[in-house]
Amino acid sequence: MSIFTRRTFLQTSGAVAAGAALPLGAPAFIRSANAADTVKLGCLFSSSGTMANLEGRLNYVAKMAAAEINAAGGVNGKTVEVVASDPASDWPLYAQVGRQMLTETKVAALFGCWTSVSRKTVLPVVEQNDGLLFYPLHFEGDENSKNVVYVNSPPASSVLPAVDYLMSPDGVEAKRFFMIGSDYVWPRTINKQLKGYWKSKGIEETAWKEEYVPFSFSNFQTLVNQVRAFADAPGGKCVVVLTVVGSSIPDFLREFANQGITATDVPILGLDMVEADLEGLDTKKLVGHLNCWAYLQQAKGEANTKFLSGWKDFVAKEKVPFSADVAIDPMVSTYDAVHLWAMAAKKAGSFDVPEVRKAFAGLSFDCPSGYKIAMTAENNYVSRGVFIGSVNESQGFDVLWQSKDAPKPVPMSPFG
Amino acid sequence: MRMGRRLGLLLLAFGAGWGSPALAYDRAQIATQACSGAAGLSEAAATLTAGASSATPEDAAWAARLTGALLDKTIRCGAGASTIESPSGSVDAATLAKAAPAEGPAPVLSLKNRPLVETARAAATLFAGATAGDRATALRALERRAASLPPELFETAAAREPDAGLKEQILGVGQSALLNSPDVAKRIAAIERIAAQPSRRAETQIAALKSDPAYAKQPAFAAAVDAGLASIDRWLRVSSVANTLYNGLSFASILFMAAVGLAIIFGLMGVINLAQGEFIMLGAYVTYAVQETLRAVAPGLLDWYLILAIPVVFLVVAAVGVALEATLVRRLYTRPLMTLLATWAVSLLIVNLVRVGVGTQNLQFVTPSWLAGGKLLVGDFIVTWNRLFAIVFAGVTLVATWAVLKRTPLGLNIRAVTQNRAMAGCIGVPTRRVDMMAFGLGSGLAGLAGLALCPIYNVNPQMGSNFVIDSFMVVVLGGVGTLAGTVVAALGVGQINVLIEPLYGAVAAKVIVLLMIVGFLQWRPEGLYAVKGRRK
Repeated sequence: MSIFTRRTFLQTSGAVAAGAALPLGAPAFIRSANAADTVKLGCLFSSSGTMANLEGRLNYVAKMAAAEINAAGGVNGKTVEVVASDPASDWPLYAQVGRQMLTETKVAALFGCWTSVSRKTVLPVVEQNDGLLFYPLHFEGDENSKNVVYVNSPPASSVLPAVDYLMSPDGVEAKRFFMIGSDYVWPRTINKQLKGYWKSKGIEETAWKEEYVPFSFSNFQTLVNQVRAFADAPGGKCVVVLTVVGSSIPDFLREFANQGITATDVPILGLDMVEADLEGLDTKKLVGHLNCWAYLQQAKGEANTKFLSGWKDFVAKEKVPFSADVAIDPMVSTYDAVHLWAMAAKKAGSFDVPEVRKAFAGLSFDCPSGYKIAMTAENNYVSRGVFIGSVNESQGFDVLWQSKDAPKPVPMSPFG
Repeated sequence: MRMGRRLGLLLLAFGAGWGSPALAYDRAQIATQACSGAAGLSEAAATLTAGASSATPEDAAWAARLTGALLDKTIRCGAGASTIESPSGSVDAATLAKAAPAEGPAPVLSLKNRPLVETARAAATLFAGATAGDRATALRALERRAASLPPELFETAAAREPDAGLKEQILGVGQSALLNSPDVAKRIAAIERIAAQPSRRAETQIAALKSDPAYAKQPAFAAAVDAGLASIDRWLRVSSVANTLYNGLSFASILFMAAVGLAIIFGLMGVINLAQGEFIMLGAYVTYAVQETLRAVAPGLLDWYLILAIPVVFLVVAAVGVALEATLVRRLYTRPLMTLLATWAVSLLIVNLVRVGVGTQNLQFVTPSWLAGGKLLVGDFIVTWNRLFAIVFAGVTLVATWAVLKRTPLGLNIRAVTQNRAMAGCIGVPTRRVDMMAFGLGSGLAGLAGLALCPIYNVNPQMGSNFVIDSFMVVVLGGVGTLAGTVVAALGVGQINVLIEPLYGAVAAKVIVLLMIVGFLQWRPEGLYAVKGRRK
């Protein structure tokens, strides 16, 4: 239905085909609609390649949020229309498709990218065209563009609280760290900042080890052997900080469990680990491993109940090829992003990027996470709550710890 | 009321004639504590572990039930009393009497509390376990934390243990709990006992004793520590070699499985089949279909779906291969470049068909009980069952493929056509049919690779693309047209990769291996084994 291959997308990225293929609530209405009474939003999420299983679902969440906004009367008298694409997990293609969306499809804002490497390729495109990119993933920080809205948290309000928890007496009093990441900008920057952070806490350099693997690497036997050797050496409790992405996450977890290591021996802090990564794994042996996000499915509150039931209905109604019972942080962040954009556009009374950007200051939204997320005039960062999740037996995460309120985001890290 | 009950329990315990006066747990307090947050929970678990050796059998059974409920999250922490859910209805967490289920969630165990609760459950089960098997499992769980447990725990448990074999084991584990005992003879025995099961953890534990005052003062103690360390070190070196060999072999088995189909299609027939990876993916999807069918039709056989799927996977994927050969590849034998493009198109087609038809998610495979986990053989050397399965499967496939090629009329025909197509045709070999059968055989083998990979890798529509380059690499390196070359190349690449990885990292390992292959092919373009006979 809306699954484009790369080729068909490139041929028909014009508005005509996109409008006809979109499974929005009212197809008859959309067909008759012309540019005068709709406003377009562009999605840059892959539905093929190594990121497909994760990014694919974000297209649908954006559509769901747009449907909610339309049901409430649209924005500035116009209906919101979401145009999806497929950059095929091919980083340069994100920039190409993004440029097309901005200059040809004339979208009012872009929502997209999962990996930092794809965001970095789109960054010059939105800056040249003065567009807006809403980026829904927690990331390495150290970036502050007026053309990107960082909907999720930089390390200071996601990774560092989680590492602090692990090092505290409430956690496991971690003293030593084994960092394993995919070889690209996000893991390397995160690990650089972590090392700086540990140095500032007076931890010796011998207390950590750092390994990188290629994208979609799956043969983790030797690495897990190394983790076992490192963890059993003297010097205190060891934790694994896992920043591999995509299909490498379940492969690593499977090998880890098979070699008989449990979370009580060596806990894993999976920074990119979501429910979708646990599909197809026997999580009984993985119970207790951790992740940290700005939303977990088990978050309490009415906003979450509403979001989850909304997603369930949307999946059933639109026959979305993703699970109706799984909600992950980037989904909620995308949902928040569309709503934040709509609120800003409404406040500005315009869809012009400079006007919308000015309207960001002082916005706040009841996020499904239960926190009231907010933006300030200072930058385009959104303050979010912090959750630490613990893998449970039913392929999900229990909320182990959550912050009292949403900390103010710090874009630039002081730790390297 | 509660006092009366506790008094009754005490009397009961004395009546039963235990050697030491049994100390009953304050059940209600412990149950409340367990529900009062992280700090209370650790306290409750510590109380349960400390009291395990002096608890009455009823209390031990209750402690096992409570800790089990905490770990399985069947406990409900309400505003008043907490309850434990079970299939036969809910019971009060303190009295185990039937009660209305409390409203509230189970506490989430933190990483700090989980081992405490696990230890408390194991300690309680060591006394209250219904079968010797349960108690043996509990003992294994306690063994890892023996040094931090009270030695009386094991002494009392051994005294009460009816099973002679298990009693022996409990006493053994109890010995290692005496590492910090005041009696030097007991400490030496503990060191010997720990050194008998060499691992890095044991090494760390014993090495720490070097800074113990007794190490400087008592020569016997120092000698025991040094001997223990030397023995552990020896075994660790053995196990690290074993680990490297096993990892290399396991990687080689995956490379071989991915390449063996191609060794026939590309190696023997000369067809550059870029859809080879997708045949592997199809094999995995057919395996999934077999699993789902078994789940619906014969759930009892579900544990054996991997074995039962073997013929199905081979036949289905071979049929797809034959169809591809008959419709497409056959028309392009004289134009290799066209074959390359056509098979690439087929690979894209298959990937997208699967994506549209099944979805992009990873498939959920049941891990059969016989494939989960592994066994610690010696030192740090663990044999993981899923990898062992892949190694054995690759071995069997190798033998079967070799037998087909060397011992059957089909194999004879394939070899004849490979060596000289025109001459084979002249003497009456139906070359067209042989091509089709060979292509089918190669595809079927690729399908089997998909089956073997199910317990190891993620199965999704994109999985095939990971294997195409590796399999071409192995086939070309081994020498086009020989099965032996494929085997040797897979073993070599696997082992070298595993040797380089710990030194320079996985990224560099891949680069170095590819450079080595390029260099090798410069020197010997025909690969490891040059095929004898005439090539076109």
